[in-house]
Amino acid sequence: MGDITTEQPIIEIRNLSKHFDDFEALRDITLDVHRSEVLCLIGPSGSGKSTLLRCINFLEAYDGGEVRLEGELIGWKSAGAPPRKPLSGEALRRQRQHIGMVFQQFNLWPHLTALENVAEALIHVKGLPKAEAMTKARAALAKVNLSDKEANFPANLSGGQQQRVAIARAIAMEPSVMLFDEPTSALDPELVGEVLGVMKQMAAEGMTMVVVTHEMGFAAHVADRVAFLEGGRLVTCAPPADIFGREPDDPRVNAFLKTYRERNVV
Amino acid sequence: MELDLFVRYGPALLSGFGVTILCWIVGSLGGLVLGFALACLYRFGPRPLRWLIQAYVEVIRGTPFMIQLFILYFGGPHFGLLLTPVQAGIASFIIYGSPYFAEIFRSGFNAIPKGQIEAARCVGLSEGRILFRIILPQMLVPTTAPLTNFFIILTKETAILSVVTVPELLYETQTMASETFTFVEPFLVLSLFYWLMVIGTSWLGDKVERRVTRHLRRA
Ligand SMILES: Nc1ncnc2c1ncn2[C@@H]1O[C@H](COP(=O)(O)OP(=O)(O)OP(=O)(O)O)[C@@H](O)[C@H]1O
Ligand SMILES: [Mg+2]
Repeated sequence: MGDITTEQPIIEIRNLSKHFDDFEALRDITLDVHRSEVLCLIGPSGSGKSTLLRCINFLEAYDGGEVRLEGELIGWKSAGAPPRKPLSGEALRRQRQHIGMVFQQFNLWPHLTALENVAEALIHVKGLPKAEAMTKARAALAKVNLSDKEANFPANLSGGQQQRVAIARAIAMEPSVMLFDEPTSALDPELVGEVLGVMKQMAAEGMTMVVVTHEMGFAAHVADRVAFLEGGRLVTCAPPADIFGREPDDPRVNAFLKTYRERNVV
Repeated sequence: MELDLFVRYGPALLSGFGVTILCWIVGSLGGLVLGFALACLYRFGPRPLRWLIQAYVEVIRGTPFMIQLFILYFGGPHFGLLLTPVQAGIASFIIYGSPYFAEIFRSGFNAIPKGQIEAARCVGLSEGRILFRIILPQMLVPTTAPLTNFFIILTKETAILSVVTVPELLYETQTMASETFTFVEPFLVLSLFYWLMVIGTSWLGDKVERRVTRHLRRA
């Protein structure tokens, strides 16, 4: 990523703020994500990691600042000061097709098989003919090593397998960026590896990824940069070596990582 | 029992059964659709609309079916609404059933985790597609049993349509009874017909329930 400074970032976040009633969940966040970059978001519980991620695809309507995907403002009709008008449903759906998201709780549709989960949006959002959609869906399932489970309903898949189907559902849409919100936090420890393995492979293939995680090993070894949030603010964003080094610049980061260090995770 | 009685009145009874089935199926399916629409409007509509729907539900559930039927059939002409007995019967059946269906569906909406809907929005599915592909099939899991139950209750409510001279089953049975001074035979037949409807409905309900819960069974 030698040309990181010249190329336009895929995601540009400028002075982003978000309130829930009077509570300020995000304050003045400015952050870029570049093509093929893996950015990990870490921070204490309630620091606003999920909210930040959800603002990127407008699952939360942010109230101040801007989020841009390849230059295009997400969610609102115009930049500038609130009040501003939200995009039409159709325009928002078009934007969201380019942003894949994976949730902590998988959120598969339980009444559809693995293959149907992956094919649904290919047929009904992208408008592909059924046969072509099935081919694409099967290819996505093969990518997450689940070719043999395509006919299973989610109830007949392990947590790790469900999460991999959820990843396949997102990558089948060929998004420009993938968002992960604690993708392994709901998994039994022995299943974490298979999901992280798939994510590592995606990173190696050049997928742009924003990952909220408590897996500090993943952040240390796979991330290009790590952003640390606290109290709704971006405290620092730096390469993992700077964050996880023995003496990070910021004492708050140090305090947060202390418990992980004690458990020898990083 | 005199068999020739049934030879004579058989056609009338069968026709009555046909009218009953017609009013019941069209009326309760209409009520189902209207109830679903009301539940959707209640969930997704603006606040004033919700109050309006709430009021509608309370008023319709709070009045007897026969009164609603009278108002529509005898009161309708005062407002330029001239309906045949069958039309009035079906229309009032739809209105009468809709709030009960709406309440069943309203509870069904809560059975779908929010995350599934967010996941659907994330891949760009439209709200209509989400409703019919993601929400509705799963809503049928907890609601099929109460829906079946209410369809069964409605089979017998059709008898009330006889008071506005809808030539349905009870109407024909009563005609037969009063013309022949028999009571046991006609009302046995009447019971048999209702029983057939009830059996058929619960059989169908069973089938639907098995279909909509198939994903929950472990392989
Ligand atoms: N819908 C909401 N309504 C009100 N407050 C909310 C809402 N969503 C989040 N919050 C608040 O915003 C703050 C940030 O929440 P968020 O979920 O983004 O934190 P997080 O960093 O993801 O935490 P965790 O590690 O526990 O997932 C929290 O204090 C939370 O209570
Ligand atoms: Mg979170």
